[in-house]
Amino acid sequence: MDALLKGLPLTYLAACDYRKTGKNWQAILPASSLVAAAQRLFKAGYFLEDIGALDCVEGYVVTYHFAPFETAGRVAIRAIAPHAKPVLPSIAHVFHGAEWHERETRDFHGVVFEGNPNLVPLLMDPDMADCFPLRKDEKARARMRDILEIGEVRFCAPGFDLMTPEAPAEAAAKPAGDAATA
Amino acid sequence: MLQNAYPDQIAGDFYTENFAKKAAEGSLILNLGPQHPSTHGVLRVVVELDGEYILRAEPVLGYLHRMHEKMAEVKTAAQFIPNMGRVDYGQALGWNWAFVGAVEKLGGIEVPERAEYVRVITSELNRIASHLLWWGAYLLDLGAFTPIMYAFDDREKILDILQIPTGSRLTYSYFRIGGVASDLNEDCVRRIREFIPWMRSRLPMYKDLVSDNIILRKRIEGIGVIEPDVCQRYGATGPVARGSGIACDLRKTEDYSVFRKLDFIAPTSELKDARGRYDVRMIEMEQSLNIIEQCLDMMPEGEVLVKGAPKPSWKAPKGESYFAVEGARGKIGVHLVSDGGKNLYRCKLRAPGYCNLSLFAEVSQGTILADAVAILGSLDLIIPEIDR
Repeated sequence: MDALLKGLPLTYLAACDYRKTGKNWQAILPASSLVAAAQRLFKAGYFLEDIGALDCVEGYVVTYHFAPFETAGRVAIRAIAPHAKPVLPSIAHVFHGAEWHERETRDFHGVVFEGNPNLVPLLMDPDMADCFPLRKDEKARARMRDILEIGEVRFCAPGFDLMTPEAPAEAAAKPAGDAATA
Repeated sequence: MLQNAYPDQIAGDFYTENFAKKAAEGSLILNLGPQHPSTHGVLRVVVELDGEYILRAEPVLGYLHRMHEKMAEVKTAAQFIPNMGRVDYGQALGWNWAFVGAVEKLGGIEVPERAEYVRVITSELNRIASHLLWWGAYLLDLGAFTPIMYAFDDREKILDILQIPTGSRLTYSYFRIGGVASDLNEDCVRRIREFIPWMRSRLPMYKDLVSDNIILRKRIEGIGVIEPDVCQRYGATGPVARGSGIACDLRKTEDYSVFRKLDFIAPTSELKDARGRYDVRMIEMEQSLNIIEQCLDMMPEGEVLVKGAPKPSWKAPKGESYFAVEGARGKIGVHLVSDGGKNLYRCKLRAPGYCNLSLFAEVSQGTILADAVAILGSLDLIIPEIDR
């Protein structure tokens, strides 16, 4: 995964324990890298399992799960959409199935996917399209680092402290360190 | 406000109007469903027709939407299990398994070996029942009435068997966090052993009666060709992907439960059409029988529920987990996130039928309407699972 995402602007990359949590890798990307990451995963033979948002203190954490067809494994790509303006770019032109997953995420959390060809309500009634049932009250929201698996950190952008209590030392960023600047 | 594309005609609802905005000159917009028998439940497909040919199609979902994911956030994990019996009425045990498996991963709970075998036996029986339901209903769509009577005869035997350990016939809530609710008793094991040769004797008859029938062959051969790249772009799994030549059976690739100890094949077909998907499911029924037979022989004695299994008030520890199983329709995935509180923080359900149906709009383009029904049926849709 280091090699696959090499050269993309990354925020966070960690190896995870597949037996324990069901995924090998997780990466947090800035919204601008999402489409490029999706294209690389598509070329590498992955398919999109699902898209689901998570309402955290930091914003809506939208998780894209990708898996290969003929071997075990799973990659979680995450992007954070701020509460004030939850907008992310659509990947529906790379993985066409994402159109529905994105519409569902809009129905449930109100995250808007720019570029989705048909962003109308999918599962919710059009008359109730703006009730966003899975949004949480402010006091019910948890912090990302409390509920998400931290994993074995391979890269963490300087100043990104949402996953680990303290910003990691530069040394931790060695394997993909050059990826951030490229 | 949306503009009415046909001011002199009945406008239709939000989805018809939205769909009609891109309509070509002189084409006809037609609603298939949500109450049409060929759409199995309450699926609705809006199609744009040029004569008998489909120019565009758009499935409209949500008629059976119950917001299971919200319900998961207002119940404890154990209290949510009955919901899993109601997501997919075709193979409820597949969903049972995906959910309890994800919770077990989250809580680090081991399952006794006998319970693993019981899970395999019951869920494979459920898979056969699901395929039989598909088989009968699909052929009914295509105009053959007799097969569904045969299919339901066999399926009834499976329901009678599953009724013994689970106590229900359709919406099973049988799996528990850390095992299953009850052991298979002697009567149940005897009935399963009797069922296996019975079902084996029926499958060749189905081949002679239906699979080789020229009318069926004309309806499904070369219809609804799905290339592997379409499966990848839409995330199709299960018999739909295997019917397109992708070897993606989780029982082989993910190596969960005791499947690695069992000798069976995960059939694929290079035909890529409705026939390919039909063949894959027919072979899968045989293979499920082989799996069940081996499990009955190999099943050790012992408990079926781990000691100290979580009580209904059990709180899942902080963290997240993803667990997927091979359901009758494909990859059933459950993604759980817990903040250590009474209820789950988030529960995301990945329904295989949802992804399989999403490719319909592309595959149906340019086919005739009658073939679209043959394609829809070949995807094996269970609407409650798609709408969740």
